[in-house]
Amino acid sequence: MKKALIYFGTLMTSTMLFGQKSELFIPKDAVTVFSINNISLLQKISMDDLVNYEFMEEVHQELFDGSTSGKTLKDAGIDFDQRLNLFYGKTNQNEISGFTFGVKNKAQLFDVFDDFQKLDGTFPGVELYGTFFNNLIIKENTAILVRIEPTMEYIDQMTDSIWYARGNEMPYELFDDYQDEEEEILNEEEFVPDEPIEQISSPEATEDPNVKNYYELRDSVQTILQDRELERLMKELFLDNVNLYTTDVRFEKQMSHDAVGTFYLDNSRNFEKSQGLWYFQTVLPSLYQDIQELYTGNVILGDLVLKDNLVEFQVEAHYGKELGSIYKEMNDSKFDKNVLNYIPESSTGYFTYNVNLRQAYEQAYKVIMPILSDEKNAQISMNVLTIELLNEFVNKDALFGTYKGSMFGTFNGIKKIKTKKIEFYYDEETFEYGEREAEAEEDMPIFTMGFSIDRSDIPEKVMKHMSRLTSKFKNMGSYWKFENAILDSAPLYFINTNGLFIITNDEDLAVNHADGYASKAISSKEKKAAKKSGFMYAHVDIAETLNRFPTGVLNPRQEEIVQSLKGKSGQFDLTSSKTTDEMTKFNLQYSFEGSEATGKHLLDLINSIYVVTTFNP
Amino acid sequence: MKKIILLFVLFLSLVSCIEISDDLTMHNDGSGTLRYKVNLSASKVKVNSILALDSLDGKKVPSIQEISAKVGEFAKILDAQPGISNVVIEENYTDFILKFSCDFTSIMSLQAGLANAIEAVSKDKLGPEADEIWITWDGNKLKRSIPAFARAKVKAYKSNDLELLKEGSYTSITRFDRPIEKFDNTLGTLSKSKTAVMVKASAYSIKENQDLLENTIYLISTKN
Repeated sequence: MKKALIYFGTLMTSTMLFGQKSELFIPKDAVTVFSINNISLLQKISMDDLVNYEFMEEVHQELFDGSTSGKTLKDAGIDFDQRLNLFYGKTNQNEISGFTFGVKNKAQLFDVFDDFQKLDGTFPGVELYGTFFNNLIIKENTAILVRIEPTMEYIDQMTDSIWYARGNEMPYELFDDYQDEEEEILNEEEFVPDEPIEQISSPEATEDPNVKNYYELRDSVQTILQDRELERLMKELFLDNVNLYTTDVRFEKQMSHDAVGTFYLDNSRNFEKSQGLWYFQTVLPSLYQDIQELYTGNVILGDLVLKDNLVEFQVEAHYGKELGSIYKEMNDSKFDKNVLNYIPESSTGYFTYNVNLRQAYEQAYKVIMPILSDEKNAQISMNVLTIELLNEFVNKDALFGTYKGSMFGTFNGIKKIKTKKIEFYYDEETFEYGEREAEAEEDMPIFTMGFSIDRSDIPEKVMKHMSRLTSKFKNMGSYWKFENAILDSAPLYFINTNGLFIITNDEDLAVNHADGYASKAISSKEKKAAKKSGFMYAHVDIAETLNRFPTGVLNPRQEEIVQSLKGKSGQFDLTSSKTTDEMTKFNLQYSFEGSEATGKHLLDLINSIYVVTTFNP
Repeated sequence: MKKIILLFVLFLSLVSCIEISDDLTMHNDGSGTLRYKVNLSASKVKVNSILALDSLDGKKVPSIQEISAKVGEFAKILDAQPGISNVVIEENYTDFILKFSCDFTSIMSLQAGLANAIEAVSKDKLGPEADEIWITWDGNKLKRSIPAFARAKVKAYKSNDLELLKEGSYTSITRFDRPIEKFDNTLGTLSKSKTAVMVKASAYSIKENQDLLENTIYLISTKN
């Protein structure tokens, strides 16, 4: 639902100039917002084309619920002059998701949202509708479709409190017995019952209809909490004028950008509400508080901009000063020009990652160790002692000289690699069968990964010893070869030269270009782009990379992802700015050739991202 | 066994080169030996990469241990079938070569034994395929074809797999105690000793024409 809603938002428009702003209905608890202000997009794309996208299929299911088959968003009465804003948020008590949008034709809207029943509302001028899970709230020409779900932890907490206050015993034992029995039955793969099994269901109602058992009580608590939270949200939005737009200036500022789409993600609140940190919150509250402060101001803001034959995603990753100081030190690294010499001009996808782990470590040590040292906890103290001793005893020059942090990677398409096979042969006289070893060739995706290194003697030592351990590991002069390292069939090569330690399955690189590709490396223009970028640069030729990617080895879902991207032409370029102690900027450009509308490419891209993000391995 | 067959079909459809060989020896008394080999060594990289996956085409990819266990179970069941003995299975999971052989007292015992063993290790029943006679032998004439359950699998190949099948091969050898007089299959070759006939075709050709390996072999009569 959440993902579908998010992608639904990518299709809607607003100008913010007319009437009510749909962004004023976004709850303040929203942590992620995707807002689209893209009238041009819909002008160029027909709705009939639109509904053919995979992400639209799901939206259709969600919105239309099968009850109005044959209809499309065109029939939904939505005002495309307002933004459509998708939001999702989680607090310690609730999970909230939905979207806000403009309403043009209420009758059409309810033709589509035909499951919604009108409910009694207590706020003047506000109409409230509901289904079992969702609520639709309309004020004037703007609406919010919202789902508020109290977290199970919160429901249990409230239910337990009431249950025990009424003098009841522990409610779980009986349920656990039933559950065990059920699990045993389910585990029997081919269970054929001799006699009909008594159906095991929820605990029966108590004899007194006025007294609820635990589960009935929990259901009631859930309903009440849901109603109460909805009431609170409506009061915030429609009486107190409290929403994300009015409470977060960063969001307000972002919404003022003249961009097709806007993205907002408050990571600091994500951290705050993270259930995985329960241990820290309860057992080490002061440490949790300190780490939380580290995350203060951690917000990602983005704009989607459409230009001629170009879709640009401009992202700013903001963070607090302390965390920023670590990032700044980490990304303050001189670009290792040597890596560019190992990216062949034929490479269809490559990245460079340029960081200084030593500086990052030192800064992190300065920032984090005082926080940990202040903690009065035996386990933390022992960990602090261990870290301090390691810091003293470990040879950091050797460690960070071996792994500096900077690296690069390339995908060079599919090449034939030599393997061995067993061949059957038959004696001409008797047809008696025999076997012999023969050369074979198989397709293999060619990858290279390289790391900047100051202490090339350390991996050299490791490889020398490896070659003593196994005959499969051989010194070939300018490179090392590890036979049958990949899938027990293909060799892997190691090149340890020019301040780089390179691992590749590209025989051509190892045998013919161990000192780099020289004039056969990427162009000066491409080298300049990589050097100019901050700590990160990536370039992908979509058509070449994906068309050359071996889909045979992918599972159906992975193949679907690759197929959704196939057929597109164009290039992805990811660049980053210099990191300051406040933020790093990223820029993802998708440029393409041809006469296809920019909006079409954007939707193709959104569709691909949808398929990728809904991927469940 | 159907799982194994399915796995081989899966491999067949993905690997660029598969070599299959069946070798049937028929004695004058109707007893004999069947040897069957599947060789995926030319596609080791691909097979290994498939085995590294959890699932493929929506089906779980079994581990080598699971394949081996199933193969072992099949051998055990087949060995217990009336008229079947000396079931030997050689598994080579480095080069991905599977060899199977068994002795049989009659051609009917062989067919019934194989059908029973396949059914026993498979959740699905073979149905009418179980009773199919795909080899007949009257003492002087042997007629053989591809069993229906294998034909169905070959037929199921997707069109985009066909190019790959062209690189695969199937060799079928039939041996006798006495010389062969003639045989029907034009692709067949007679051994110099005249006691064996070999038919070889690409996996693709078999998909295109499933009767390609069908052969009726006539032996010089013992009365002569």
